[in-house]
Amino acid sequence: MLAVMLREIRLILRRPALLGLVVLLPVLMLVVLTGIFRAGIPTGMAVTVVDLDRSDLSRSITRMLDAAPEITVHEQALSLSDARAQIVAGQTRGAIYLPQGLERDILRGARPEIVIFYDNQHMSAGSMVARGARGAIDTALAGQRLSIRQGQGEAPVQATARIQPIPLQAHALFNPAFDYVHFLLAALVPTVLQIIAAAATAYAISLDFGPGRHPQVLARMAGGVLPAMLGKILPYTLIFLLILGLSDIALYGWLGVPLRGSLLLMATGAVLFVLCVQLIGAAAFVLTRDMGRAASIIAVITAPAFGFMGLGFPREAMSQLAQAWGALIPGTWYVQLRIDQSLRQTPLDIAVWSVVWLACIALALGAVVLLRLVRLRRAIEAAT
Amino acid sequence: MSDILTALRGELRGIFADRQVRLIVLAALVIYALVYPYPYRAELLRDVPVVLVDLDRSTSSADLARQVTASEAVTLSHDARDMIAATRLVQERRAYGVLVIPEGFERALLRGSQSPVALYADASYFLMYQRVMQGAAVPLRQLGAEVEMGRLIAEGTAPDVALAQVSPAEQVEVPLFNPAAGYATYVLPAAFVLILQQTMLMGLALVATRRGQGHGHPVWRVLGRMGAWIALYAVLLPLYLIVLPALYGLPNLGNVTAVLMLGLPFVLATGLLAQCVAALFRRGEVVQVVLLAVGLPFFFLSGFAWPVEAIPAHLNWIAQIIPSTAAIDGLVRVSQMGATTPEIAHRLWHLWALVGAFATVAVSLEVLAHSSTNADHQDG
Repeated sequence: MLAVMLREIRLILRRPALLGLVVLLPVLMLVVLTGIFRAGIPTGMAVTVVDLDRSDLSRSITRMLDAAPEITVHEQALSLSDARAQIVAGQTRGAIYLPQGLERDILRGARPEIVIFYDNQHMSAGSMVARGARGAIDTALAGQRLSIRQGQGEAPVQATARIQPIPLQAHALFNPAFDYVHFLLAALVPTVLQIIAAAATAYAISLDFGPGRHPQVLARMAGGVLPAMLGKILPYTLIFLLILGLSDIALYGWLGVPLRGSLLLMATGAVLFVLCVQLIGAAAFVLTRDMGRAASIIAVITAPAFGFMGLGFPREAMSQLAQAWGALIPGTWYVQLRIDQSLRQTPLDIAVWSVVWLACIALALGAVVLLRLVRLRRAIEAAT
Repeated sequence: MSDILTALRGELRGIFADRQVRLIVLAALVIYALVYPYPYRAELLRDVPVVLVDLDRSTSSADLARQVTASEAVTLSHDARDMIAATRLVQERRAYGVLVIPEGFERALLRGSQSPVALYADASYFLMYQRVMQGAAVPLRQLGAEVEMGRLIAEGTAPDVALAQVSPAEQVEVPLFNPAAGYATYVLPAAFVLILQQTMLMGLALVATRRGQGHGHPVWRVLGRMGAWIALYAVLLPLYLIVLPALYGLPNLGNVTAVLMLGLPFVLATGLLAQCVAALFRRGEVVQVVLLAVGLPFFFLSGFAWPVEAIPAHLNWIAQIIPSTAAIDGLVRVSQMGATTPEIAHRLWHLWALVGAFATVAVSLEVLAHSSTNADHQDG
């Protein structure tokens, strides 16, 4: 087996295509993904203010809007249809409508309407714009309410308390800085690695076990088909674990994501995850014995996997079948483990289940590959 | 002219005669059309479970809990004695938030002083966090307004004046283009464009790696292939970007002409890019693995799901070379937001510029390949 492993490492070093696929490609994807999300939550997204009032109050609301970190007041639009056209064309992401007579109507107690329009087709950006605008307008109106009460002779402290009888203290659980970026990154890197590791493993196996190749040479070298296969796979396991480690250094070291769990559990999970994914690649190849078809199987399983992991749309809200399909994909459990062990600080007795699931998937896939290998050995023995 | 037709027929043969290419260009489109949207079929998050930690156990706190449960977004599904028990429920993913009503809530309320409550929302999941925050904040704010108004009226303020004091203006939020905030409506129109691009890149690059030496002038050869792609995708693109979204019941504001006007340079740019990819990686297996790996990064680079404002400038510049970046933006604006052709003109120019650039590279590659094989012949 060791001989096969050494041979494989020499093979990787000799073949630029293999080296590129298992080292260069994942590292490049890691760099690109980190680059995309490094800057963090978007700020300064453009909105328009349709200010038909042009009063002190409307100007002060505009200033408040501009001061909200999420948004910048891009320019003034003269009408709602102008503002809408700007949103459609992509120049702005939202518009705030301040009607004519706003200040006068507020002072008169006529409760005029302030309208926030936002582009919810681009939902992630749109919801952040709406949140920023909502907060800014709340602040502006609270100031208005305070000044009325103070005008009636209430002390500032008392007035502040009285305009908010039930203040809501909002806390972001597990993620006080609300740094959603790192969750995405923690999930995207394994997702992309899952695709590459499965496909590259299938490709490497095809070089020895494919049609027209001679697996018996390897089998003789290792003393059996199973050790030959293991010797073939394990060098890549090491490489992918190193790359995963590199991404962890970037994430928990450079980007400073807190790591609050058991390192041992994380490491066990990582090893099982890489093995599972490689076994998907191996199974796809030994079942089809054709790299093209194997690649198609791998593509169908791994390419849409991100959606089933539930980072965007949560798993619990999916249908039973979608949840079940997600449960069969190793990345789902590994990403859950990473999130549990980094920010959520999940107790071991809960988090360990992700690792148990990964082990089950590895065993099942291992059994499939093994059964095919037994058949392959018979075929080889019959041929020689 | 006959050179163009020969190349066109050759390309179509390359696509349809090769089982693997057929699988990618046709079958994969069908499979992905079923698998990709599957997680999002539920569209909306309703009644997200939240734990209630009621330390006051009074009529007012029960009242508040009832109001929160009545909201569409969240429901108070569990009761917990303390924050530790509640956090555990969240860690087990059985709930996504905790509402803590502190002891003395009712007393403070009756005394007329501030009576705060705390809301902890699970911020590991962006969407859940938002639903919990919004879902609980709205009824709480309403309750607060009622309390303030009640006090003002008790002090002898006229009800309409009290209302104006409590809430001087009515804040209305209008989510445009995806009013129900459906997740499928949000993500699928863009995902379909990317799937179309990735399967096309993969299929056509495989054809290119397996193609023998062609005949005729390189320009005619490339033009002929472009004709073949147009012929094939004149059928596939409308099916994928107009019929498929309609089958999933996604809203569609777009006019067909604008979709097709964007579709043409998108298909050509993608096909030409596939020629460059094939020349760069040469082997079919490598092309497949590389294109599979870049799918997700391409999606996030397009500036659709992750706002372009947050993407570093140099990466965004690179992203503009990928056809899906301009195509997703243009097509989503046309079909989901009802943009007219002049409004997406810059995206059209962008895609045609890519066509021009990639065509130049593809023709040069043809010339190079031709001269190198000629040199081989002379050597032999």
